[in-house]
Amino acid sequence: MDLSLLLQGIVSGVLASGLYALVSVGLALAIGVIGIINFAHGEFFMIGAFLAYQLFVSFGADPVLSLFFVAPGLFLIGAVIYRSSIQYVLKAPELNQMLLTFGIGIILQNLALVIWGGDPVSISNVPYRSVGWQIAGVSVGAVPLFSFLISLVIVGGLYYVLLRTRLGRAMRAVAQNRTGASLVGLEVNRIYLIAFALSAALAGLGGVMIAVIQSPTPTVGFAFTLKAFAIVVLAGLGNIRGIVWASLAVALSESLVATLVPDGDVLRNAVFFAIIFIVLIARSRRVA
Amino acid sequence: MTSNRRSTERRPALQVPFDLIAVAAAATLLYFVPELLKLVFDKASVSYLSLVTNALTLAILALSWDILARTGQLSLAHAAFFGAGAYATAILGKLTGWPLWLGIPFGGVVAVVLALLLGSVTLRLRGIYFAIATLAFTEVLRAVVQQLPTAIAGGSAGINISPLFRPTFVPGEMDRWEIAFTRNEHYFLVYAGILLFTILISIYLQRSRLRSAFTAIRTNEEVAAVMGVYPAGHKLLAFALSSLVVGFLGAVQAHRIGSVSPDSTFGIGTTVFALVTPIFGGLYTTLGPIIGAGVLAGVEETLKRTFQEGYLIGYGLVLVLSILFMPRGILGVINGLVKRLRGEGPPADPDHELPGERDSE
Repeated sequence: MDLSLLLQGIVSGVLASGLYALVSVGLALAIGVIGIINFAHGEFFMIGAFLAYQLFVSFGADPVLSLFFVAPGLFLIGAVIYRSSIQYVLKAPELNQMLLTFGIGIILQNLALVIWGGDPVSISNVPYRSVGWQIAGVSVGAVPLFSFLISLVIVGGLYYVLLRTRLGRAMRAVAQNRTGASLVGLEVNRIYLIAFALSAALAGLGGVMIAVIQSPTPTVGFAFTLKAFAIVVLAGLGNIRGIVWASLAVALSESLVATLVPDGDVLRNAVFFAIIFIVLIARSRRVA
Repeated sequence: MTSNRRSTERRPALQVPFDLIAVAAAATLLYFVPELLKLVFDKASVSYLSLVTNALTLAILALSWDILARTGQLSLAHAAFFGAGAYATAILGKLTGWPLWLGIPFGGVVAVVLALLLGSVTLRLRGIYFAIATLAFTEVLRAVVQQLPTAIAGGSAGINISPLFRPTFVPGEMDRWEIAFTRNEHYFLVYAGILLFTILISIYLQRSRLRSAFTAIRTNEEVAAVMGVYPAGHKLLAFALSSLVVGFLGAVQAHRIGSVSPDSTFGIGTTVFALVTPIFGGLYTTLGPIIGAGVLAGVEETLKRTFQEGYLIGYGLVLVLSILFMPRGILGVINGLVKRLRGEGPPADPDHELPGERDSE
């Protein structure tokens, strides 16, 4: 087997895992802290991509700069959506939550279709898009590398917030026991609001990156919702720490199949979901 | 709660099967719908007939999904069974010279086999884990179909299929548009037949002891097992019945559309509509999913005609508002009104308790 090809597959896989982790960790936050099955998560991601694109077209804003505008923007959108709908279904059955968030997803996606049309857009002429390096026969693009590093910093920052700050401790408390948390004086609804808005902001940050890496259309969101769900489920619901490893495993296997197997691009999706399927089934057998 | 219990104890020995009478009446009515449309709308009836046909397919999807959901299995695999049925008839038609209609039962059987395979490995998965596993199954199946030898399944381009009905044009006796109408009329009647079959299955499940078994499994599987209900068998039964109907539907739809391909036939839309409609109409009932299908198909068509571009924004709004203001679906609202008119309290039927309601943690 061609060793450099293998190496290339591994490197691309590792670099792609950052984005997966970033998007999935947001969803894990919504599921873990609030317990809401958010089918609109990928749409936040899509909105992030198109906001960055709009900022680029209107003001020539560099995507790296856009990160600082898109994150608060989506935090706000997330907060508004939480206040106007999500907070009313917190105790409703899972299916109702799914239908609600699914409806929100349809609204967001079609708003984007009306505003930006159905064609793929991309932030193409930033100077660093074509920059890349050759290291030991492996090519590393600047965009994937930096999106990986930025994702790593953001996910690391989230872990720091969750583990070391008062807000993070409050979130973990609420996630563990809602009633207990409110008994010791935590404003549960406010913490949910922050968690949901934060989750939207994280997805939006991922969206900015996809606008540089690929050429997204307004329909890109749902595919990422499904992938993010798959990763969250692979890590185990509510297990925010496991997200990084699940993302890495999934991204690596996807990229290895794409580079090593002829015709592998078609199989990429199948491998992704086959892994999820097998892991879920295997885990359910082991528990019992 | 107690008053409700007592009323079941006092149930008379002989019961008028109102539901079966209603089904018979509805079936008769359905039979005349195409002619009625033709009479009222003349030329425009073609588009109305296709609207009603869409409502029927949506109702089949929704009711079959609901049957499965009654055991607590929130499946995201409806597109898989739909696609299996469609591909089964397409491949049968391509490789053999058998009569086309044989593809429909064949599609149902293939879907059932797949459902039993899937159902038996996912028996231990619950809630969202089950949902994601079934979704993953659909995606893998799509890829497998795409990877099958082109001579069999046509690869990513798919297969073209001959239509089930080819009405002949009689010059002078009928207008041009009547060909399309007659063809759609045939499909309409086939769908109506499948829907009736589904309704009868659903009513049987609701009237027999299976209803209690399904409800027990959905509410608490461990307790159900302790009480002597065999969860695995019942879950697989629901899986088989649900996928049988969807397999039929996929097969007929493939003939109506005229082609199958991995991307369109296994599209996530089938799964999503199958799930959305019963929640919108009223879960775990026979009537709810059907009402939901009728209303949603009508709402979508109206919005489409009024707004054209971006009409799905309105569709999404309808879904959001319906969850916020009628969490038990349309049927829940109707039931509430009926109870209030009779001067009774809020509904206390244990079977209509919101599914998976969370304990106050």
